[in-house]
Amino acid sequence: MTDTEAKAWFSCGIEASMNSLYGLAIRLTRNDADAEDLVADSVIKAWSAFATLEDRNRFRPWVFRILHNCYISDYRKKSIRPIEYGYDDLSVEENGDDITCYLIEQSDDFLKWWGNPEREFANKLLRADILSAIEMLPEVFRIAVLLVNVEGLSYDEAAEVLGVPPGTIRSRMKRGRTFLQKALWEHAIEAGIITGDHMKGSKP
Amino acid sequence: MKDGKDKTEVKEIDCIEAINGLYAYLDGEMKDPQTLAQFEHHLEHCHTCYSRTQLETALGQLIRKSGEEGQTPVKLQGRLRKLIDEF
Repeated sequence: MTDTEAKAWFSCGIEASMNSLYGLAIRLTRNDADAEDLVADSVIKAWSAFATLEDRNRFRPWVFRILHNCYISDYRKKSIRPIEYGYDDLSVEENGDDITCYLIEQSDDFLKWWGNPEREFANKLLRADILSAIEMLPEVFRIAVLLVNVEGLSYDEAAEVLGVPPGTIRSRMKRGRTFLQKALWEHAIEAGIITGDHMKGSKP
Repeated sequence: MKDGKDKTEVKEIDCIEAINGLYAYLDGEMKDPQTLAQFEHHLEHCHTCYSRTQLETALGQLIRKSGEEGQTPVKLQGRLRKLIDEF
């Protein structure tokens, strides 16, 4: 491949990934200007390292990894941190078995609420509700949810991005989703989406 | 059916096993056909796990959709194209 061909290929790859890169950057930095700089810096670094990309079918996880590393090294310290959700009843230790027990032991009210009017509940949640709940997740879970659930990466690809074993992604996805449910449950109570018999003072 | 076996011979799993595999199923990571058959067989017979799977699917779609609506600002698009032109 000539330099011109490589540049054309790289350009197409960036065009195809641009929205994803910006979406990830804005959720990591929470700041428009920093997100734009982060994407631009990542594109420069990606081009510098492009010759080292052995499998071009893995361009997306490769460029996501560069953006993530760039964020960790240059942007993380100055990113605006919201008050993250209270996780006092759930250890941040990555133990998937704990989560299974937690899911099994959820109260009957909670299960009825999730299990019965799920379509109605889903219709009442706004995009802002979901984004707000994602933003409150601790960073390790937020990134896993964004890569797998939003960007559609496999566990192997997400593991490649974050430099962790696939089993860690599996564990973070379980925990991240559970945190999201808890945040949405509490939001739904506060916003009056859940009323009457579904409340009964129970929490997940 | 291979060897005359049908779905009724799928091994039963309990709710704990099903919930343990729920997210792998939703994320397309349940790649072993036997495990997948066991999970889906359980869903056919357990209302609670079926219901939870429905909800998790709906929630997953909402999360995906919430991320898809973002568009790269035009200014950044221009900046990136200019950068690449100058490489």
